[in-house]
Amino acid sequence: MTFLTKPLPRLRAGEVEAQSAEGEDDRVGTQQGDGACRPDHPHPPLRGDFSRAQRGRGFQPWLVSWLQVGPLALILCVLFAAPTVLFLVVSFFDYDRVGIYPAFIMDNYRDLLTTPATLRVYISSLKFAVIVWAITLFLGFNIAWFLIFHIRNSITRTILFLLCAIPFWTSGIIRTIAWIPFLGRNGAFNQILLDLHITSKPLTFLLFSDFAVIITYVHLFTLLMVGPIANSLSKIDPALLEAARDAGASRFRTMVDVVIPLSKTGIVLGSILVFTQVMGDYFVVKTMSGGQSASIVSMLSTQIQAMEYPPASANAMVLVGFVAIMVAGMMFVVDVRKELVK
Amino acid sequence: MSGPSADRPWTFYVLGALFGAWLLFLYGPMVVIYVLSFQGPNGGVTFPMVGTSLTWFRDIIRPGQMANIPVAFGRSIGLAALVSALTVVISVAAGLGFRRRFPGSGVLFYLAVASLVMPSLLVGFGIGLGFQVLGLHPGLFTSALGAQLTWTLPFGLFTMFAVVSRFNRSYEEAANDLGATAFQRLIHVTLPILLPGIIGIAMGAFTLSYDEYARTTLTIGARNTLPLEIYALISSATSPTLFAIGTLTTTVSFLLIGVTLVVVFRMQRRRAAVVVKG
Amino acid sequence: MDVRFDVELVAVTKRYGSTVAVDAVSLRIPHASYCCLLGPSGCGKTSTLRMIAGHEAVSDGDILINGANVTLAPPIRRGTAMMFQSYALFPHLNCLDNVAFSLKMRGVAKAERHKRARGFLALVHMETFAERLPSQLSGGQQQRVALARALITQPRVLLLDEPLSALDPFLRIKVREELKRLQRELAITFIHVTHSQDEAMAMADMMVVMEDGQIRQAGPPREVFEQPASAFVARFIGGHNVLSGARGPIAVRADRCRLGVPNDGPHVSGRVAAVEYQGGMVRVALAMESGDEISALVPDATFYGAPVEPGDPATFVWSEHDTHLLASA
Repeated sequence: MTFLTKPLPRLRAGEVEAQSAEGEDDRVGTQQGDGACRPDHPHPPLRGDFSRAQRGRGFQPWLVSWLQVGPLALILCVLFAAPTVLFLVVSFFDYDRVGIYPAFIMDNYRDLLTTPATLRVYISSLKFAVIVWAITLFLGFNIAWFLIFHIRNSITRTILFLLCAIPFWTSGIIRTIAWIPFLGRNGAFNQILLDLHITSKPLTFLLFSDFAVIITYVHLFTLLMVGPIANSLSKIDPALLEAARDAGASRFRTMVDVVIPLSKTGIVLGSILVFTQVMGDYFVVKTMSGGQSASIVSMLSTQIQAMEYPPASANAMVLVGFVAIMVAGMMFVVDVRKELVK
Repeated sequence: MSGPSADRPWTFYVLGALFGAWLLFLYGPMVVIYVLSFQGPNGGVTFPMVGTSLTWFRDIIRPGQMANIPVAFGRSIGLAALVSALTVVISVAAGLGFRRRFPGSGVLFYLAVASLVMPSLLVGFGIGLGFQVLGLHPGLFTSALGAQLTWTLPFGLFTMFAVVSRFNRSYEEAANDLGATAFQRLIHVTLPILLPGIIGIAMGAFTLSYDEYARTTLTIGARNTLPLEIYALISSATSPTLFAIGTLTTTVSFLLIGVTLVVVFRMQRRRAAVVVKG
Repeated sequence: MDVRFDVELVAVTKRYGSTVAVDAVSLRIPHASYCCLLGPSGCGKTSTLRMIAGHEAVSDGDILINGANVTLAPPIRRGTAMMFQSYALFPHLNCLDNVAFSLKMRGVAKAERHKRARGFLALVHMETFAERLPSQLSGGQQQRVALARALITQPRVLLLDEPLSALDPFLRIKVREELKRLQRELAITFIHVTHSQDEAMAMADMMVVMEDGQIRQAGPPREVFEQPASAFVARFIGGHNVLSGARGPIAVRADRCRLGVPNDGPHVSGRVAAVEYQGGMVRVALAMESGDEISALVPDATFYGAPVEPGDPATFVWSEHDTHLLASA
C-alpha cells in the first residue's frame, strides 16, 4: 500500500541490534512484591526543555474566564445592579415639593407600608399574580406535556412551538388592546354568543373587569410557562415513563411521582417569570380593568411624574425585594445553575 | 406515554383538544389585530368594521402627527442590529467563560437571573433615575439600548448554556492535538460548531429589540424624556394605526425568523448528529 | 537519553482533588511497539493515556517521549497524536478539510495541504469520501478518517482511546487486523487503551494490566497469560482459576484442567454447577466445598465422549507443571 511521501524516522541499524542484545534490560522495571511496577533507572532529564513560558498557557484559567465574562458583568453591574443600589439609597432620602435631600429616614417605607391604599394595590397585584400563576401553570404544563410527550415527529413539534411563539412577537401592548374589540359589549365574542343563541343579551362582565385583566394576563404570559417547562420535560428520558408504567403506576401517579419532580426547574423558572411579569405590569391593569384596579407600577409612575423620587424608590425597592425573595426561594427548591448548565 | 400498540392513548385527545382550544384563544385577538388593521377610514378600534381600506397602513408611511415613521422604522432596525450584535459578542464570550467554575460565577449567574426576571419598567425607571441623578440627558437610543440589554444579555447567556452543554469538548482537544493555538481553536473549531446557536441568539435578540422599540418610537416619535416606556404607554394612539403597526411588525418578525430557521435547519442537517458524547 | 524507548513514564501521578487516579506509574515502551493499556473501568488507563497525549496535566512525575522530557509540553510538541473515542471529527468540515486541519494550523498552502490530505485518505481507503461530511459516514468510516487526521502529523506515538468499543463485533475483528498491520507498516508506537482482554492479547506486543491507578503487570501477552503476577491479573485476563495451594495462591489455566478422578496430582472435587457450550470448547463450572467456583475448558470431542450434567459430582485434575505460583493474592 502506498502512503507517506517521506518515511518516518527509524532507528539506525546498530541500535536495533543493541536492543536485542540487552535482553533483560528490556524490562520496564522491576516487579515488586505487591505487583506494582517501580522504576529502576536513574532520574530522568530535567523538564527544562519545556519551561512554563514555552507552554503557551500562561494565563490562569480563572483569569481567562473573568476576561470572557467581563463585559457581561460590567454591563449588568452598570445597568442593573447600580440602578438597584440607587433605588436603595434614594429610598431613604427626604423630599419635599422642591427637591430631594440625601438622608437616612424610614419615612418612605413607613408611609408605603401603612397607607391602606398602597396595601390594597399590593394585595390586588398579589391576588392577580396568584390566580394567573395557577391558570398558566395548569395550561402551560399540559401544553408542554402534549408537545413533548405526545408529538413524536420533531418537525411537527417545531411547527407547533412556532405557532405558540408567533403571537409573542407582537408587542404586548397591541395584543392587550386587541382584547377590547373582542370582549366589548359590541365585541366579537358577544356577537358569537348571540348568534349561537347561547345568551340573549351581551355579557357585560367580560370587559373592564378583573375577568378581563386575568384573561389578558393568561393570554400574554402562558408562553413563559410553556417554554421552561417544555425544556425541562424534554430532558426526561421517555424510558423512565415506561419503567413507571411497567411498575404499575397509573398515569396520574407517574405524573406526580416521576415527571413533576424531574421538571421542577422548569416549573420554578416559569412561575418566577409569570409572577414577576404580573407584579411588574402597568398597562394591562390600566387598560383592561377600566380604572377599577391599580397596579404597583402605575403607583410608581405617578410618583415619578410628580418627581417624588424617594417614595418611588421605596416602592421600587419593595418590588425588588419581592423579586429577590423569589429568586432566593428558587435556590432552595432547585439548583438552577446546575440544571441550566447541564 | 403510549400503549403497546401504536394507537394514541385517550390523554392524547384530551390534551390535544386543550392545545387546540388554547391556540384558538391565543390567535383570537391576533386575528382581531390583523383584521382591524384593514379597518375603513371612518372606523375605530372596535367592531363593527366600517368598510375595509389600507388607510391605516398608509398612515404609517405618511409622515404625520406620528412623526417620521420610515425614519423611525430605520432607527428601530438600527437599534435592533446594535442590540443583537452586542448581545452576541457579550453573551457568547460569557457563555464560554462559564464553562469553568470561577470565583464569583455564582454571584454573576444569579445577577443575570435577577436581571432577566425584573420587570422591565422597573429597570427603565432605574436607568432613568440614574441618568437624572448623574445629570445626564438620556437619549432614546442610549436608554432604550441599556434597558433592552438587561433583558437580551441574560437571554443570550442562558441560550449559550444550552448550546455549550451539547458541545463535546473532544473537538477542542482534537484541535489542540492537531496543533491549533487557542485563537485558532476559537476561530476554526469552537465558533463554527456553535454557529447555529449563535445565530439563534442573534435573531432572538434582534426580534425582541425590534418589536419593543418599534412600538415605542412609532407611537411617541422622537422624544427625549424618560421614562420613555411610560410616556409611550400613556400616549399610545387609540386608532387602528396601532393595529396596522402590529400587523406590520409581526410580518417582518415572521419573515426574519422564518429565514433564520431555514438557514439554521439546513446547517444542522448537514452536520447532524455525528456527536457521540464522549 | 535512552532512545531505545519511545515512551517512558517515570513515577507519573494524577490526582483529582483528593482522589488518586494514577499512582506513581512507571513504564518503558520500546520503539515501534504496540502497547495495550488494559484494565477495568476506573483503573487509570485513560488518564494515563491522556497524560501522555498532553490533554491532562501531570500531578507528579515525568513523561519522556523519544528521550525528551515532555511533561510540560503542549500536545503538538510531543510527537504524539490522539484518536479519540468519539472520533471528534469536526462536523462543519468535510473529510478532506478534517484531515488537512493540522496542516492548515501550520500555515501550509491550500493546494499543498489538500494534496497531502488526499494521500492520507488513500492510506485508509477513504479517498472517495473526501468531500463528504462526517455526519454522512458510518462509525467505521469516521474512525478511518480520524486515523488519517492523526497520522498526517507524522507522530512518533499514536494514542488510541478505546477505538474498537463503538464498533459491532464483526467490524471489530476486521479493524483489529488493520490497526495491527498499519502499526507494523508505519513502524511507530501505538498505545491503545481497552477494557477487553481479548483485544489486548490479540494486538499487543506489550500488555500493561492496570488496577486502581497502578500497573499490576506489564509484558508480552504470552508472558502475562502464562505467568500472571497476581490473582487480580489472573482473574482479569480470564481463562484462569485462582486457588489457594500449599505454598500460597496459585493460578491454573482453565484449558489445562480436565475432568478426571482424584489421584496423586493436583485435583479439586466438587459438584458441576454449569455446563456451557462454546463451540470448539465446553466450559464446565465446578462448585467446590468452599462455595467458590472454578472452570475447566474441555475440548468438545473430549467432553461429549464423557459428558457430565449440572449436579453431578466431578473432579478437575491438572498436572503440577501447569500450577503457577502467584506473587500475591
